[in-house]
Amino acid sequence: QPLAGGQATELQSKVVPSKQILHSDNMEMEPETMETKSVTDYFSKLHMGSLVYSCTSKRK
Amino acid sequence: RMEASCLELALEGERLCKAGDCRAGVSFFEAAVQVGTEDLRTLSAIYSQLGNAYFYLHEYAKALEYHHHDLTLARTIGDLLGEAKASGNLGNTLKVLGNFEEAIVCCQRHLDISRELNDKVGEARALYNLGNVYHSKGKNVANAGTHDPGELPDDVKNALQKAANYYEENLTIVTELGDRAAQGRAFGNLGNTHYLLGNFRSAVLAHEQRLLIAKEFGDRSAERRAYSNLGNAYIFLGEFETAAEYYRRTLQLARQLKDRAVEAQACYSLGNTYTLLQDYEKAIDYHLKHLVIAQELHDKIGEGRACWSLGNAYTALGNHDQAIHFAERHLEISREVGDRSGELTARLNLSDLQMVLGLSYSTNNSMMAESHVVENSLNGGRPRGRRYSMENMELMKMTPEKVPNWS
Repeated sequence: QPLAGGQATELQSKVVPSKQILHSDNMEMEPETMETKSVTDYFSKLHMGSLVYSCTSKRK
Repeated sequence: RMEASCLELALEGERLCKAGDCRAGVSFFEAAVQVGTEDLRTLSAIYSQLGNAYFYLHEYAKALEYHHHDLTLARTIGDLLGEAKASGNLGNTLKVLGNFEEAIVCCQRHLDISRELNDKVGEARALYNLGNVYHSKGKNVANAGTHDPGELPDDVKNALQKAANYYEENLTIVTELGDRAAQGRAFGNLGNTHYLLGNFRSAVLAHEQRLLIAKEFGDRSAERRAYSNLGNAYIFLGEFETAAEYYRRTLQLARQLKDRAVEAQACYSLGNTYTLLQDYEKAIDYHLKHLVIAQELHDKIGEGRACWSLGNAYTALGNHDQAIHFAERHLEISREVGDRSGELTARLNLSDLQMVLGLSYSTNNSMMAESHVVENSLNGGRPRGRRYSMENMELMKMTPEKVPNWS
């Protein structure tokens, strides 16, 4: 009986070693940023207002 | 008429992507490309948005293709700002694909042009991207290495240190610009870089700043990320109570945000933390919660990990019946998923338990024989198999100044 007890203690320290830790290394990163372009950027820079309309209607 | 319809299709694509439906947006952009346009600036904008849409859809080969088209086009028409943007996007895509050297060249180009144009916003964004590339590079080299845990090879350390420098440079500019959202992102990733470098106190300081900004914006996902990262850093500082508190907040937010996978991760972290605190009842409670969600999500690897952890915790409590139950379940799952080292670990656990329960060696000769083979292959009796069987999991010496191992 004392032997079994000793083994249990030994096993316990073996399973969860006091000097070792279990660690989940699930680091959470921040999102990436992408540069954006828009088909309207160019128009709005050239002329203000409803240029998309006038441009498309002109071509019609 | 043709011009109009290309533009109209592209505008609809933009609207859909902004609304979060990238898949539908892609169809409209591709239709717009089919129709075609003589306006190369419009075409460049379409390529760029197609690239970004595919990036968000995780179709990186396609993203690469379109950002490359955009870069070529921007150079053709001499649009320097457009070239900078395309280079940045190409760099981010190359990073995700693991092509770090080319990614660095592209992100550097983004940075150089931004400086040339005296575009502070662009400069800051390029610095953040460069930080991300070096961070990924460092992490990647470390994962591929066969070095001992706690020993950071020089190339890894250099890459991570460069990442930290770029994040710091970014922070200087975005602080000047008063861009709090960008500050939040940089603090978060700077914190993670310090964590990998083993600077856990600095990691905590950065994540605390990240947390503050997340609260300012009411950004609960970012808040949850900060709690989780703070928990991780406090584990390595040996302050397990504080770590548990942060993981509890992570869990609370994960539940509010109804993210089951994140909830499972938080339970798992809490289970491990209570193991470190030697509160095995609580550890079991959280590992069981993790197990239930892993089963629900059909996450076999998570389920195996939970069983392994539960086996350990029950063994620590001296509940050998439950310990054997979970060790057997761990063995079953390891076989199912073809995790050979997990299988051997489970065998080791079972033979250990049988020994404690006083079962004779002769009752299970084959199992013991196999265990001894494993034992002999271990360095100093360290259960390598246990470590390798756990994806994202680490067994390491509890010395705070040492960095995590990268298994």
